[in-house]
Amino acid sequence: MRGHAHLVAGYIPGRSPFHRMPLWVKAVLLLLVAVLCLASPAVSVPAGAAVTTAVLLAAVASHGVARLPWGRLWRAVKLMLVFLVLIAAYQWWEHGALVAWQVVAAIVATVLASNVLTATTPVDELLDGLAAMVRPLERFGADPERFSLTVALMLRSIPFVIGAFSDVRDAARARGLERNLLARSLPVVIATVGYARATGEALVARGLGDPEPDDDASGGTGPGR
Amino acid sequence: MSASARQSIVLSAAGVDIVPADAAAAGPKTILKPLTLELAEQRIAVIGANGSGKSTLLRLLNGLVLPSTGSVRVNGLDTAADGAAVRRTVGFVFTDPLSQLVMPTPVEDVELSLRRLKLPKKERRARALDILAGYRLAHLAGNSIYELSGGERQMVALATVLAVEPSILVLDEPSTLLDLRNTRLLRERLASLPQQVVMSTHDLDLAADCGRVLVVDDAGIAFDGPPDDAVARYRALVG
Repeated sequence: MRGHAHLVAGYIPGRSPFHRMPLWVKAVLLLLVAVLCLASPAVSVPAGAAVTTAVLLAAVASHGVARLPWGRLWRAVKLMLVFLVLIAAYQWWEHGALVAWQVVAAIVATVLASNVLTATTPVDELLDGLAAMVRPLERFGADPERFSLTVALMLRSIPFVIGAFSDVRDAARARGLERNLLARSLPVVIATVGYARATGEALVARGLGDPEPDDDASGGTGPGR
Repeated sequence: MSASARQSIVLSAAGVDIVPADAAAAGPKTILKPLTLELAEQRIAVIGANGSGKSTLLRLLNGLVLPSTGSVRVNGLDTAADGAAVRRTVGFVFTDPLSQLVMPTPVEDVELSLRRLKLPKKERRARALDILAGYRLAHLAGNSIYELSGGERQMVALATVLAVEPSILVLDEPSTLLDLRNTRLLRERLASLPQQVVMSTHDLDLAADCGRVLVVDDAGIAFDGPPDDAVARYRALVG
């Protein structure tokens, strides 16, 4: 299987203000971006467009402040390009150019802002943050560790599925079946289920998700030195 | 206690059958005939043909597969009743490290293993980096696991499993995806471990390093003894 990790937002080490900022500040800023972009059109269309444009410029500027490669910014937009064009066309047709701009700018601004957050926060810290967020729910039976592990698995699995798609496409092409939808999709499903099973087995083997050991439990499990 | 203390894995008439999900198919299929074995040697290899039952035998040792008949005990703990405790005693390394490494980078994966110890975050990270440095992997700590070579991945997998210091290590064909150089590195690393090691392999040189070799054939043990005789028996079985 080929690596496609670059498609998923990953941590880029650095010393920018965003790298040093505590995660919760970044999360609040991200929330602010989303609220400004989504709520401002409620005031008036021109106000919404103006606020959203300002937020978008701020998001792009943050990208620069965080010293992230510009290629990464473009890649984030490129992934959504088809949808952005479709959404813009529809909004333009229904509500006019200004609304279309506001909607597209709002989407791009929030995606770029979240991109800055994930690029300046190690996954581990992100998981701890998520676990801390879920912790208040612990009394209702939520398990924060399990929650953050689930998110980590999701992040880790996306590159696999993308990789499976391109492997299967190559295999189909090699057999001259590139136009066969079944030959291009079914193996992906099978590979993904196989991957899920293997991952589950690996988690069990490592004892992740097992109940917490009691301090006095289990003779003979002493660590080796 | 130290890992060099004698470990014992006891299989009592442990067999594995699977009942087909499709009722129309023929009756239960035997994956492993009932076995009675005591595994106490420091280095044990399992060799045999593809599909002979090697992987199932290894998976019995840490409770990934539970016996349908009989029982498996590791240092007195039953794999069915005390699964979690058994898995803390027995580390398991898979053939394909990509299925084993669940986090995006090596350091995060080692930290995932260490989460069990409930250390403060900084200490956990420092310890994870220390462990990777011990495997000469420190320079790759923050790389995506997809960027590592097969040999590096297998070393990371080994590091994540040994991070929690199991007293027994089980490896399922650990060198199958490795080139000659990485196989040698793995071999040296395994030789230096204080843990009891049980591994299946197709690499007969690797098997020759072990004091005891089991030859698995047709869901049963065809030979159990010193490596030279075991390899000769395996070659004879292939015909």
